[in-house]
Amino acid sequence: MSAYDVIVIGGGVIGTSCAYHLVKKGYKVALIERGDIASGTSSHCDAAAMITDKMPGPDAALGYASIQKFIRLSKELDYDFNFDQAGSLYVCETDQEVEVATGYVNDLRAEGYRVKMVDPYEMSQIEPLLAKDLKGGFWSDECAGLNPFKLCYAFVEQVKGKGLDVFLHTKVTGIRLNEKNQVEGVDTDRGRFTTGRVINCGGVYAPEIGRLNGLNIPILPRKGVILLSEATIPVCHQKVQEFGYMVTKFANVECDRDPELLKYNVAFTLEPTEGDNVMLGSSRNFVGYSLNTEIEVINAIAKRGMRFFPILKNMSCVRAYAGVRPFMEDHLPIMSEVDEMPGYYICAGHEGDGISMSPVSGELMTQLIAGEETELDMEPFRFSRLENRFL
Amino acid sequence: MAEYIDDDVLVCRCEEITAGEIREAIRMGATDVTGVKRRTRAGMGLCQGRTCEALVQQILRQELKGEATPESIGFSTPRTPQRPVTFGTLGGDNL
Repeated sequence: MSAYDVIVIGGGVIGTSCAYHLVKKGYKVALIERGDIASGTSSHCDAAAMITDKMPGPDAALGYASIQKFIRLSKELDYDFNFDQAGSLYVCETDQEVEVATGYVNDLRAEGYRVKMVDPYEMSQIEPLLAKDLKGGFWSDECAGLNPFKLCYAFVEQVKGKGLDVFLHTKVTGIRLNEKNQVEGVDTDRGRFTTGRVINCGGVYAPEIGRLNGLNIPILPRKGVILLSEATIPVCHQKVQEFGYMVTKFANVECDRDPELLKYNVAFTLEPTEGDNVMLGSSRNFVGYSLNTEIEVINAIAKRGMRFFPILKNMSCVRAYAGVRPFMEDHLPIMSEVDEMPGYYICAGHEGDGISMSPVSGELMTQLIAGEETELDMEPFRFSRLENRFL
Repeated sequence: MAEYIDDDVLVCRCEEITAGEIREAIRMGATDVTGVKRRTRAGMGLCQGRTCEALVQQILRQELKGEATPESIGFSTPRTPQRPVTFGTLGGDNL
């Protein structure tokens, strides 16, 4: 089989972004995926590129940079991934939440981002179907929505056959190392490939690929459930989320939440789709790789949705689906070479930020492989920060 | 052999997807019902593909010829709720 400069394992949003950016740099790349493009987490999620879910400082800067990259990609990629800089709205249920939100918004504004507090009247102008008893919120017109699996197709279609070969329904059975422990090839159920570099972009399945070479990649599947409405009149015009859930993240303060919601970590989020549906989410819990949609979780999400958008009560839900996020204990992805195995790279573990972080992740991995100076300090993302890295 | 469906025929009624759009998705790399669904929205609507699934399978079989088996073409994933149910009912209607 042919030789490649780099072999990317995994056809989700991280793998396809890495493949796209590597080809743009001039590398000859093979993308190996055991199913179809975007057949895992990247098609079982919602998607937004935001600054208003980030902490002020480097986190917000990264969120802002990602949005700018999506604006560029939406012009650069021919395949339309429904990028829409429609804005995003956070809503507060209590005065305590409004107080925390005000401090948070002031911090973001001080850093120059376009975000502002809105009162209930302004909220009803922005989203007329919101519940009327909310205390306030904040809004940013910089945030954007997009279709996550179309983004994967867009990355692939742009470079397929022009430096990128795609091998779907092809399962990696081994990564060959030479006597110096350097990568020299990839074995699959459809034949052997020769390469000096491989990137494990397996997401929640990255540990499975890692095990082939005795690597212990500590990514855990963290499930989320989303309910999809029938195609309908516009219910919301942008991503709308509750701030209550974020209060602990932004202010380190306790807030009272319904035990039912806490049990499955349910927080209200609502997103319009290009098909005129709305996606209502979501939950976070650890139940292995199962994609079952438990009725208790559906019940809690539906209830929470109607709290903020009462109109949902009489609207139909046409399906529920679940996806698993690649969770890392320290909430940072691994984007790094494995020191002990030259040529073996890992780019995985973005939890719920994989879609929004995909452009910057693909660029960073390309810079790492090209030996260039990286746009960000890669130290926090190193595989070697972790303990017990080998089985 | 089943009849050839012309490109301009609507196959998925819910999302208004034609046979031509489904063939385009197959040229792009779709090899199963779910792959067609993601690339075109065929089967993403109200009926979850109950109406169009057999036609999508037929087009896949015709386009992929010997490369496809019933197992590889597969089905769309049945999801809860099986037919549309209001969020009010799902949420216990106790607001």
